[in-house]
Formats: sequence, structure tokens, C-alpha cells
Amino acid sequence: MKQALFTYLFAVVTCLLPIIGCYAQDKDAVTFEVNLSKDKLGVNERLRVDFTMNKDGDNFSPPDFEGFRVVMGPSQSISSSWINGVRSYSKTYSYTLAPTARGNFTIDQATIVIDGQTYKSLPKKVEVTAAVDKPNDEMTVDDVADESLHLVAEVSKTDPYLNEAVSVVYKLFVSPSVTVSNFRPLDNPTYNNFWSQDMPVTRYDVQNGTYDGKSYRYVVLKRVVLYPQKSGELEIEPLSLDVTVEVPTNKRDFFGGRVYSQANKTVSAGRRTIEVKPLPEEGKPANFGGAVGDFDFSVRTTKTDLNASESLQALVEVKGKGNLKLFQLPDPSLPGSLEVYEPEFEENVHTTLSGMQGKVSNSYTIVPSYKGKYPIPPISFSYFDPDKGTYNTLTSDEIMINVLEGPTAGATAGNPSPERTEKQSVVTAGSQFHFIKLQPNLIPKGSLRFFATKEFYLWLLTPLLLIPFAILFGKKREAIARDVAGNKIKRANKLARKYLSKAKRELGNKEAFYIALEKALHNYLKAKLKIETSEFSKDKIASLLTERQVDDATSEGFIGLLSNCEMARYSPFSNVQMQQDYNKASEVISSMDKQL
Amino acid sequence: MSGILCFLAWSLLAQNKVLFDSATADYNQGNYNAAVEKYQKILESGMHSAELYYNLGNSYYKLNQIAPSIYYYEKGLLLAPNDPEIKNNLAFARNMTLDDIEPLPKTTLSRITAQLTGLMTFDQWAYLAVGCMILFVLLYIAYYFLRYASHKRLAFVLSMVCLVFSLATVMISYIQYERYEADQPAIIFAGEAAVKSEPNTRSQDAFKLHEGTKVKVLETLNDWKKIELADGSTGWIPQKDLKMLKDF
Repeated sequence: MKQALFTYLFAVVTCLLPIIGCYAQDKDAVTFEVNLSKDKLGVNERLRVDFTMNKDGDNFSPPDFEGFRVVMGPSQSISSSWINGVRSYSKTYSYTLAPTARGNFTIDQATIVIDGQTYKSLPKKVEVTAAVDKPNDEMTVDDVADESLHLVAEVSKTDPYLNEAVSVVYKLFVSPSVTVSNFRPLDNPTYNNFWSQDMPVTRYDVQNGTYDGKSYRYVVLKRVVLYPQKSGELEIEPLSLDVTVEVPTNKRDFFGGRVYSQANKTVSAGRRTIEVKPLPEEGKPANFGGAVGDFDFSVRTTKTDLNASESLQALVEVKGKGNLKLFQLPDPSLPGSLEVYEPEFEENVHTTLSGMQGKVSNSYTIVPSYKGKYPIPPISFSYFDPDKGTYNTLTSDEIMINVLEGPTAGATAGNPSPERTEKQSVVTAGSQFHFIKLQPNLIPKGSLRFFATKEFYLWLLTPLLLIPFAILFGKKREAIARDVAGNKIKRANKLARKYLSKAKRELGNKEAFYIALEKALHNYLKAKLKIETSEFSKDKIASLLTERQVDDATSEGFIGLLSNCEMARYSPFSNVQMQQDYNKASEVISSMDKQL
Repeated sequence: MSGILCFLAWSLLAQNKVLFDSATADYNQGNYNAAVEKYQKILESGMHSAELYYNLGNSYYKLNQIAPSIYYYEKGLLLAPNDPEIKNNLAFARNMTLDDIEPLPKTTLSRITAQLTGLMTFDQWAYLAVGCMILFVLLYIAYYFLRYASHKRLAFVLSMVCLVFSLATVMISYIQYERYEADQPAIIFAGEAAVKSEPNTRSQDAFKLHEGTKVKVLETLNDWKKIELADGSTGWIPQKDLKMLKDF
């Protein structure tokens, strides 16, 4: 109550006289306080109660500590100091109490008289619980060792992507108060579901650092780079160490130096779980081969122009940061006609805490055997960039290999049938690529087919019809040849047609008819007997005819006809007579023809 | 009317000849793209020839476009199956392809028949058959009318030989024709084509083909073609990945 009043008065004074009040506060303020070491304690623990005042007083009367037994005290301690001309003073009465029962107790007010005034402390409540396992009284060596040794696994990333590098660094923190004399690992963790690369620590460098806000010294014991090979929650097994520590005790030796006691402690870094994210399915390229990181991709050949049976190297290279050892390099698809040997794999990778770095490459030895052009088509390489969370695809340029000199593919040719589709089967006639053709010889598309059309069948089968026709024709001709009488008539007609055709045309026209008839008869004889016109006379003809043994009747008829012709020029002749003469002429010629 | 048609045809021919010649000049100067354009224009006008396809194949070869190059060479070979220049340059183009397919071995008999029937196209065989038939008829008639027994015998024997020959050529022509009709070759145009075991995208990849490979189309289902390779393996491939050779 007094204190509260005093505070009130003090507040009024400070308001009225702020400057003086500052001094008044330091000089005149009297405090009398009670401090408990804890508010809650086990029944087997001890409680320390301090009554502190800043001015010396008299007549200190402690409370009766109901429910506690005074183990020690009261003990007095006084401290007084001058700092910058200001004196500070404190006087403390200390009691060590042991609870006698469980329950809630109150430390009652203590009173003291300072400068004639009576001051009282505030009552404090204390809870006494059941007995605790380890009373906090004395720190054992093990406890100290426990508190001053910490093994920590530092994981660089707790939510990496599949195949993204995660580094784990194991640090042993040691408090400055203890010294570590020896340690050995008890259990080296096996990193299941990880691809791990250990970076051995060759020298243990002691560095200063903080742990839990306190300053510590630490040593890096182990550094590992892990590539998770499975998505989901993965556990990193703890690393356990057996450490021998020397802990200072309160005891002192003869010379006043501290006595250290040794303790063996097993420390282990806690289990760490990391949540591995699967690579996103969205936008995953078809040729994705599991490469995660940041890469450069290139395809090169040592030369592009060469002769056959020389060799060249094609280099497929991936450079950069990421899981370089954990994916397959893309295979180039080379023309089947090139001779390609097994690639030579080369890697130049070094591992740092941030992951693998360097380059891997496949070197293909290629030997072309034939002349020509061989394209190496573009090769694609896809990787996942964990920083951006996206897939990237790099594509090389197409490389054209020119084989300038060498045999052509025809050298190994088999039989040239148009159905063969394999390589090198078609005969190459020459050794070079031919120029284009200069004559178009264009025909309309949808060219007309000949086989199996109507025309084809007509052309194929109509000639066959000729055979029966020809046979019939031949038969008929034979029959005609066999018919004698008919033949005679036919021959006469034929001869008449030949020689008397003009006369027949002039039939009815007297003069012209007989001239033509005479001429025809003369012509006939000329043709038959081969005589000249000048020798013609009836007598001569008659003698010629008898010479050729032509019978008299025919010969007479012939002569008669000739005289008729002469006569007719000067005498009238009827049409009927003309017809008779014509018929007779044809008769005579045919009968004569037979005899000549 | 026919006069106008005649004139049109004539002008088209003349125009194509001009295009062809200027394409030749372009090709010779190395303007292969321009040459290709002109050749394609001639094709669009409805005319074609083995020579035109051969020149197109050459131009595409110079442009390093494997699939069209092989495609047009093969087309040229369809029109002129035994042209040595086309075969030669096709071998060059085939060197550029990625797939190396081992053909199934053939029996000697089938190889001989293929060689024999492949000498000429079925149309040429058909003409030969007609010629032999006419010869047979003439010889048979001669046999009928000839007088001497030795002449008759000779004519008869020759006529029978001609008849047999004619029938044989008709048969060969028929076999060739059947084979030609059944054979539907195509060229893979896609850079890399996955051949599936079933005509849908869910099924497994049977194998992979690259551009320029010649395949035989056996069946068609929707947008899928069943193909067979020279080594006998079959699979389904989307229609857009290949181009049929016999589209004229």
C-alpha cells in the first residue's frame, strides 16, 4: 500500500518538477522486492527466495514460509558500487527452501524498516508439483556434455525436384566451455533412394558460429551431394558420432586449475525428411531423358568433307550444371549406309556443394564407304530447369557430310529388281550423280492403260477370226479351180474383158466399134504371137495361125471377123450384127487362146 | 470446238516446254527452289513424265530434302522402270536415309520370275502379246496354203511357237498387272515416324521409321495405314506421315 502511495506521490512530483524529479528518483526511490528462482517446482526440488532492497534497513522480518522448510538462510549479501559518480547499492537476504508438500503455496510479505518507514514485499504464489526425474540441482558431466555438443545436418533444400541436387553438410557444434578430444563415426548413413556423392573433408577446420543464439565453435564433418531418385517423402538417415569430451568440473586441483572430467557422448543429427517433388508432366518433351539442371548442348563433327574410307568424329556433348552422370546422352540417328562404331564416352565432371558441373560427351567414329551426301539430322536434347520449373529443349543444327571421292553404292549391288527397297540394291550405272534430263516428253496424267482394256482384247482376238476366213477363202478357190466348164467361160470372159473392153464401150456406135474391135484383135495377136503391126495382113495371119496349129474353124472365124471390120466401115451394119460380132470375137479369142 | 481444244492443248504444251526449259536453266545455275516451283507448276497443269519426276528428284536432292527426292525418283521409276539414270540417282538419295532395312531373302524361283516379268511393263507385255498373236495367225494361214511339206512343217511349228509365246506374254502381263495393282508403295515423309502395333495412339510403338523409307501399304483404317517393310515387319502409321506413290 505504502509503495503504491509512494509511486503515486512520485508521479505527482515528477510531473511538477520534471528535472529535479530525475535526481529524486535515483536518490530517494526505495525498492524492496522478492525474487523466486521458479514459480513451479517438483516436490523433490528446492526453491531459492531473495529479498532485495536498495537501501540498508533494519528489523527485517521474513515471512513464515508456510509449506516449506528452510534449508539454508537467511544469508546476507551486500553489493555496492560507484559508477560515474552514482552509487548503487543492494542488499539481499537469501533463503533456500524445500517444499514439504504438494499444492499451491504463497510466499507471504516480508517487512523491513528503511529510514523510519516500514516497507513490505509483494506476496508470491508457488506451485509444488509431483517429484521430477532429475532435480536441477547439480549438473552432471553428461548433462553439460549434452548441452554443449550438437550435431546438425544442414540440408540446402527441403523441397527439391526429382534429380535436383541437394547438399547435406554435417556440422558438429561444440560449446566453448568443453573441449573435444576425439570422435569417431558410429554409423555412416546410407542414402537410400538417392544418388549420393561424398565430398571428403580432408582437414577439420575449426570455425566460429552461433547455435541457438549462443556462440559456438563448429567443425564440418561431412559433405554430401544427393540427387533424389524417387519422388515423395524421403528420409535422410541420421549420422551418429561417438565423441569424447572433457568437461570442466567445479573441483580444482592443488594449483587452483580446474579439474576436467571425461565423458563419451553419442550424438546424432536428427532424421531429416525432404519432400521430393516429381517433375511436372505438363509440357514434358517426348525425348526427355531425365536431365535436370542447366545445360548447353552441341553436336559437332571434326570434318564435313572427306573421302570414302577416311574417318571422322561426331561429338555429342552436354555441358553445364546438373545431374550429368545420371542421364543418357541422346543418340544421333545416322544414315544407315554409314559405318558407325560404338561411341567413346568421356566425362569431365567435378562435384561441388551446388551439384555436378562439367561436361559429358559421346564421340562416334564414322567411316563412310560410299560417295554421296549423308545428313546427320538435328538431335534434340531436353532437360528440366528446376529454377524456372520448366522444360527446355535444345536442338542441334543439321550437319551434312560430303563424301567427295570413293566407290559408289553400286559396288555391292545385288540383283536389280524394281521391288527391292533396301539400300544399295539398285545398280548405280556410273560413278557420279547424273544431271537432269533436258527433254520433257510430257504426257497427260492418268495415262491410258492398254492391258485389260477393250482394245487389248479386240487386238488380241480379232486376228484369230482371220483363220476361218482364210480357210473358207482357200476352199472356195479350190472348188473354182476344179470346175472346168465354168473355168472356160470365165477365161473367155476374162480375155474378152481384157481386149474387148473398149469395143464393148463403143457398142452401138458403128465406126468406133469396129475400129476398136479390129485393134483389139490385132492387139490380141500381137500379144500372143509376138508380131509387128507392119506385117499384118489376112494371109499372113492365116498362115501364122495354121503354123500354130489352130483349127480351121477358129482361124476362119478370126479372119472373118477382121474382114467384117473392114467391111463395116463402108456398109451399114445393124446393132444386132454388132452384138453378134462382139460375141463372136470373144468366142474366137477364148478358143484361140486355148490352142495357142 | 475441237479446234479450240487443240489450240488449248498446243498452247499448254508450249507453255510447259518454256517452263521446263527455264527450270533447266535455274537448276544449272543452282536455283533449285525456283526449278522445283516450275516443275510443280507443270505437274499442276496435269502433265507428267518420268523425266519430269526425275528432274524434281534431282532438285530436291540438291536441296537435301530426302523424302521428296526419293518420292519423285520412285514416281519416275513407276513410269520408266528400267531407266538407269533414275536408278543411279535414287541410289545416291537412298544413301541419305536413316533406315537400313534388310530385305527378306527371296527364293531363286521368285527372283527369276521377278527378273523376267520386270523386263517390261505390263502394257509393253500386252503389246508383245498382240504382236505375237498376229504373227501366229499369219503363220497359221501360211501353213494352210503352202504347198511343200517342209514349208508347211516350218510354218506350223513357228505358228505354234508364236501362239504359246503370245499366251505366255498375256499371262506375264496379267501377273505384272495384278502385282502393280496390289503394290501400293509409299514414302515416309515425317522426319521420325513411330509405327504403332494398332491403329490408335494408345498402342505400343512397334518400331520407328525415318523419312525417305519406302514402305508398302496393305490396308487403310480411318486415318491409319497398315504398312509392310521390305524385311516383312508390319505396323500402323498415321496417314499424314507418308505419301502414296501411285496418286496419278
